[in-house]
Amino acid sequence: MACCAAVFVCSAQEPGPAKAEEVLQKVCGACHTPQSVLTTRRTRAQWQETIDKMVSLGAKATDEEFAAVLNYLSAQYGPNAADAAAATPAAGAGRRGGRGGAGAAQAPRPASSAAGPDDKHVVDAAAADRGRRVWAAECINCHGTYARGSDNGPNLVRSDIVLHDRYGNEIGPFLKKGHPMQSGSASANLTPVQIAELSHFLHQRVYDTLRGSPIFQMHDILTGDAQAGAAYFNGEGGCTACHSVTGDFKGIASKYDPPTLLGKFLNPRAGGRGGRGGRGAPPAPGVKQVTLTVTPPSGQPVTGVPVVFDDFDVSIRDAAGEYHSWTRTPGLKVVKNDPYAAHDDLLTKYTDKNMHDLLAYLVTLK
Amino acid sequence: MTILRNLTALIFLGAPLAGQQGLNPAKLLEKPTDTWPVYHGDYSGRRYSTLTRINSSNVKGLSMAWFYRTGVGGIKATPLQVGGVLYFSAPDHVWAVDARTGREMWHYAWESKGGIHIGNRGVGIYGNWLYFETPDCNLVSLNIQGGKERWRKTNCDLDEFYYGSVAPLIVKNHVIAGVSGDDLDRPGYVSSYDPETGDLQWRWYVVPQKMGEPGSETWPNEEAMKHGGGMTWQVPTYDPELNLLYVTTGNPQPVIAHKNRAGANLFTASVVALNPDNGKLVWYFQTSPHDTHDWDATQVPVLFDGEINGQRRKLLAIAARNGYFFVLDRTNGKNLVTSEYIPANWAKGVDKNGVPIPDPAKMPQLDGALVSPNASGATNWPPPTYSPQTGLFYVGATRSYSVFYIFDTDDNPQGWGGAERGGGSLGSMIAAIDYKTGKVRWSHKWESGGARSGLMSTAGNVVFTGDGSSNFVALNATTGDALWHANVGAPVGNGPITYELDGIQYVVVAAGDTLWSFAMNR
Repeated sequence: MACCAAVFVCSAQEPGPAKAEEVLQKVCGACHTPQSVLTTRRTRAQWQETIDKMVSLGAKATDEEFAAVLNYLSAQYGPNAADAAAATPAAGAGRRGGRGGAGAAQAPRPASSAAGPDDKHVVDAAAADRGRRVWAAECINCHGTYARGSDNGPNLVRSDIVLHDRYGNEIGPFLKKGHPMQSGSASANLTPVQIAELSHFLHQRVYDTLRGSPIFQMHDILTGDAQAGAAYFNGEGGCTACHSVTGDFKGIASKYDPPTLLGKFLNPRAGGRGGRGGRGAPPAPGVKQVTLTVTPPSGQPVTGVPVVFDDFDVSIRDAAGEYHSWTRTPGLKVVKNDPYAAHDDLLTKYTDKNMHDLLAYLVTLK
Repeated sequence: MTILRNLTALIFLGAPLAGQQGLNPAKLLEKPTDTWPVYHGDYSGRRYSTLTRINSSNVKGLSMAWFYRTGVGGIKATPLQVGGVLYFSAPDHVWAVDARTGREMWHYAWESKGGIHIGNRGVGIYGNWLYFETPDCNLVSLNIQGGKERWRKTNCDLDEFYYGSVAPLIVKNHVIAGVSGDDLDRPGYVSSYDPETGDLQWRWYVVPQKMGEPGSETWPNEEAMKHGGGMTWQVPTYDPELNLLYVTTGNPQPVIAHKNRAGANLFTASVVALNPDNGKLVWYFQTSPHDTHDWDATQVPVLFDGEINGQRRKLLAIAARNGYFFVLDRTNGKNLVTSEYIPANWAKGVDKNGVPIPDPAKMPQLDGALVSPNASGATNWPPPTYSPQTGLFYVGATRSYSVFYIFDTDDNPQGWGGAERGGGSLGSMIAAIDYKTGKVRWSHKWESGGARSGLMSTAGNVVFTGDGSSNFVALNATTGDALWHANVGAPVGNGPITYELDGIQYVVVAAGDTLWSFAMNR
């Protein structure tokens, strides 16, 4: 639960992989099979973002459990952990294998998701690079740079033959039958190795279109007018009620990249990465927390971070770490202190121009 | 909806007689009391029960009757209750559990070859046979007595990244099965299978397959159209009197980058009425023309009769993921009411047919467009409920914003080509909508967010659902006041159901991997 700060940066008792996998099953398995996301590689920040999103959808765990899940996912399913996922047995009943297939031991591209069959083609990036050379020499004029087709040849990313292919077992027989190539040589003369490399290249093109694909990057988001942003900051936006460019915002653009800055002012709770840090979500470093001030019918008000807050019960952990719990009754007064209420209000008011202008201004605060 | 008891025998002439524990097909045309025979309780999709033993005056006394823990993933299925037995599923699993005691009767496990295991909505039952879909694209039939497999049929191509998650719906002698998967650019469809043999009877493609066919005028070319998506994630509803099957369809493909699919992209993000006997389209209504936000329209098309502008009509109401609530005349698809139940900033207005007009500035942009609602939507797949007693349509709703970006600048983008980032939720609630005006009469806001829980209403003036604190909650259907709760340890993950057996009314709901049953214990 959301009780101590910065739980994601440290973890007193680091569970081993086996224990961490149990935690993963417990936390994530409450709603979905964890394996459904484990064929995707993500950076630590991306896994954090995923966890934030899950918390906003109701994922429940202690701080230690969330930290264990994050550490486990970052280590086992990070961008550089190519073989780890293939080597980690897929837990969970009824789901065999995970990434199997002949290429499982080779470094796959991190673009694929849990979609598709267990025995799907696993791309060998080096082989795909060699396949690209065959592609450029023999195929690119008709089927295009990204295999998405042209006026002279069909889209192969959407080709049934390619989607059914594994390591050339469908593409090979097709090319054996004879297919025009750029050099004029016979496609039947392509070697099995060349066909396998073409297959890796083509599957890489398919996986590149999936959500989370590494080729999909944000473009320039600094399209706003910094001067108009300054005017918004100092005027209509009301930002100066809480912030100062010589105080808390001094050098802020050196601390955060533009997408993070944008995320932070749209929703500061999420630490700039999107998703709402709901109840139980450990705060990102520097993020203030919602507190509740609870006044019993007879007794002194107590303020703390909410642990349970619903129509029926309320419990908080106060600054000293003490836990307090009440049943909500008409006589029990509960006041919510939300440090980011003004940001919620702004979220409903920004035009796209306001948003881009404000970002353009904030990035000048180096 | 008028219930046609007198037509029952006629319609089911020739249908096999149900066994002792099987589903008497006549039950499918009745209001459920001792059974919950189809995904939505009955064909109307209202998830409204006429039972009153548990009501707003005594619901405070509701207590646990039993629970059954599967130990496998999360249950998103709405259980069916037939012959005193509950039948429900999770990806690759089906269980039969005694509806009075929670005792397991059988468990069937499927050996998977892959596919996305995000959830399974449930099973369909016809006579002594049960039907469910697997993530690896199979439609499977089991004997309900013992769970022995009868046959398996391929409903989709796993290599094309389709998968199965929908509960099949039985209409007459048709097993209606939808299809899931929006990773690659493939067409969505809905299929009908023979309940005895599993043979394909018909298949209706959401996107036209040839230029010149109705709807093809809303696509730039056949290549874009045939790969244009439109998955059928939701269980349809059905009007036996009109003999119309109401199917809702998913978002077009490519999902976010949309340069190569100019036009409205019919029949994606639409409500369509099909003839269940031949799969022919009778009418359509598109809720999100040229969807670029992954919203689709696969929410529940709820059927009821009501009065609009003094005229009694056969209605269809849907609270769409894009923030709009629509009421249609279900005989012809004509729009009667369009309203925003959650503030939506993506449309320039509503056209003369009641359809929102997308604002190009709010489509995904290279530098981002701030859009409400976000891709998860104002609501999502969990079922709403309609109570004829209050005339209110209840839906789990969330107010949210996110920034939509184009990543793939190619003239021929594929797959997704963009994403949403940042933004946040401004709170979740149960919204009670007056169908006559589309206005929200009251909202019950959750202090700690929502849980993506389904809803059920009863003639006892109660609405059951889940909150963000893992509580299973009863609200007063008239006022929205919270009346009762029980903490079930995980967010309520499905739509609750109710039935009466031996004079006891049970309310059954799933949370995490556990099925919970509540009753007025003696």
